[in-house]
This record gives sequence, structure tokens and C-alpha cells, in this order.
Amino acid sequence: MLEEPDGADLLATARDVVLLEILPALPPEKAMAARMVAAAIALALRERDAVAPPMPDLAALAAAIREGEHDPGTPHHDATAALLRDYARARAAVSAPKALGATG
Amino acid sequence: MDEARLRDWLARETGDETLRITALTRLSGGAIQQNWALDVAMRDGAKRWVLRTDAPAVLAVSLPRAAEYALLCAARDAGVTVAAPLFLCDDTGVTGRPFFVMGRVEGTAAAHRVVKQAGAQGDAIVAALGRELARIHRIVPPRGDLGFLGDPPADAARAMIDAMRARLDAAGTPRPVLEWGLRALERAVPAPVPPVLCHHDFRTGNIMLDGARVSAVLDWEFAAWGDPHADLGWFCAKCWRFGAVAREAGGIGAREAFYAGYESESGTRIDRARMPWWELMATIRWAVIAADQAARHLSGQERSLELALTGHIVPELELDVLAMVEAL
Repeated sequence: MLEEPDGADLLATARDVVLLEILPALPPEKAMAARMVAAAIALALRERDAVAPPMPDLAALAAAIREGEHDPGTPHHDATAALLRDYARARAAVSAPKALGATG
Repeated sequence: MDEARLRDWLARETGDETLRITALTRLSGGAIQQNWALDVAMRDGAKRWVLRTDAPAVLAVSLPRAAEYALLCAARDAGVTVAAPLFLCDDTGVTGRPFFVMGRVEGTAAAHRVVKQAGAQGDAIVAALGRELARIHRIVPPRGDLGFLGDPPADAARAMIDAMRARLDAAGTPRPVLEWGLRALERAVPAPVPPVLCHHDFRTGNIMLDGARVSAVLDWEFAAWGDPHADLGWFCAKCWRFGAVAREAGGIGAREAFYAGYESESGTRIDRARMPWWELMATIRWAVIAADQAARHLSGQERSLELALTGHIVPELELDVLAMVEAL
């Protein structure tokens, strides 16, 4: 058993320090950097809890899409559209969770 | 930067041996180029200039400074509001890299601030921006002074699809969602229109405003011959509205106000049916650029938190791409 608080707790606490203590004391031209640090910590925390969806060979899928093998009217089209939606949503859940609310 | 050498060069260019540099400070610059605030004292008074030079790591797709200077001159001559191009230095012996000097322009370009401050003046601002863009598009090939742009593509839309695929291949990371979008575009390629000079980064964030007045169109390094709808779509695409999604013209104003400004200046009517195609292309192109920026961080070429976080824009853009393909 490792000593607590764990990494996630420390990151979340560090993020509060950046936003609540450091950011207000910074000159305006450094505010962006502090916000980026806070965003990076939040993203790392979400990634820690994320579950990657099972995906097929992405390179093969990308090549097949380019060749038109998943065009409307082909047998794979609807399943591929659903798979790509899940794939983008799973990554957005880590990278940009606000976007999920906007696009349903 | 070697100030003494720079002073001597400026003194020669201006023909004023009394010229003194009174301030030279780095401005918050782009990832591709650096801007320096350059203040000088001359016989006829103090001047406030900007010195623009390449950053250490230069994107292969961006134009060198000499080309950007020629574009600024062409834009100024076409009546586009730009910072006045003043002096170009191709000699790397002065500051180590090519650079040019232009007039310093008042105002703010910061996208979130521009979007927040637009308010009731938003429609007037985007109408003015529509007029600016129409003036840019008045520059058409062939142009000897813009020879570095090469020949215009026979089919700009098709060429853009090919260029995006080539960049995805070069990056080496499979992007099935972007491929999905590109394939949808390929099935619906619009008929070519006569080529014009496209700015190719005409969006909120690259336009300096002084209150509601356009004080400069910035960042010409991606300019190329192309389809005018590419610039219109880039400006209006959802990904460049900085959160103000309902204001379809750059998060600043109404789409129709932007179009009206453009049409009044160009004397042509925008084919609205072409816009979804180009807005989808804009979204894909920004995703490709964002992925490339993250790759620069990942490769160690330029370690940067900003570049690293830019890569995390890609999934959100992919959600947009999927929705736009449905609506195309």
C-alpha cells in the first residue's frame, strides 16, 4: 500500500493552488500559462479514469474509408458511422468533455 | 538579437544616420514567427514599429518572411487594411534570420476578448471584415510579384482534399474520422471557380480590431491561390467562433451581415449552397493543423504546453466533422 494522498488527489489539489493562489497573483501576460497548466492537470485526471473503447485496426479502417469502402449504401456504412461516433466521443470525454454536451 | 547591427541596417534603409533604437521587446508571437516591438528615434520623430522574423522551428507549409512581405504589399495596394510594410531584410547577417519591419497597429486581436467585446457592434464589424476579405479576393493570378505562390490549382477544392490526405499520411497517425470527412467532401466536390488570393487563415484571432474598427488583417503566411469560399468558410466555421456559436460569423456577428459586406465590396453574390462543404473542409483542416502542432511537441522539435494542449482539440473537431458530414 502506497502512502496517501495518491497522485490524483495531489494533482487535483495542485490544480486548485494554480487557479486559486497563483493565477490571481500573476501578471496578465502569464495568466494564460497558468490556465493551461490547470487545463493540463484536469485533462490528465480525466484520462486516468477513462476507459478506451475497443477499436479495430485504425490504419486499415482509415485506408478503407478513403477508398470508399464505407460510403453510404455499402454494408458497413451505418456500423462504421456509429463506431466513429463512439470513438470520437470517448476521446472527447477526456480531451474536451464540454463538447459532448453540445453535440449530444 | 544584435541591436547594434540592426540599428546600422535600419539607419541605412531609412537614410537617417541619427536613428536610435529606443526599445526592442518580444511580443507574444505565434508558434511560427516572432514579433518584436521596435521603437526608434529619428530626425523626424519617434516611430513605433514591429519587427517580424521566423521562429527557430519553422513550419514547412508557412511562407518565408520575404514572401509574407510581398503579400502585405499586394494587400495594401488592393486596399486591404494591413500594418504598413516598411523594410525587408533578406540578409541573415543582420539578426541571424530574415525579417521585415512594419508599422505598429493599435488594437487587440485576442479572439476571446474580441468575441466578448463585439456586442451590439458585431454585425458592423463582420460587415467590415466581409469587405476586407472581398478586397483580398480582388488579387488574382497571374502576378509577377507573387510568383512564389506558384501556379493556381486547376481545382482548388480537389487540391485541398489531396493536400489534407498528404498531411495525414506524412503525420502517420491514422485519423479515420478525418478520413470520413474527407471522403464525404470527395463525393460532393463543388465545380471549380476562378482562383483568387486566399488568405487561408482569415478568422477571429488573426484580425486586429481597435474598438469596432478593423485596424489590421494579420498573419499572411498561409496565403495561396484558391477558391474564395475557402476563406468565407474558414471565417464562419463553428470551430472559429470561440464559444459564441450562435454568432455564425467568427463568433462576432451574423453570417448574413458578413456576407452582405463581402457582396457589397465584391459585386458578386456568394453561393450559399457551397458553404457547408467549405466549413466542413475548414474543420478538417484545423484538425489536421492541430494534430501537426501536437506532433511538434511529441517529436521534441518544440516542447510546448500550448502545442500539447492544441492536440486535444482534435476529438472535439471530429465530433463536429461527424455532425457536418450528416448535414452535407
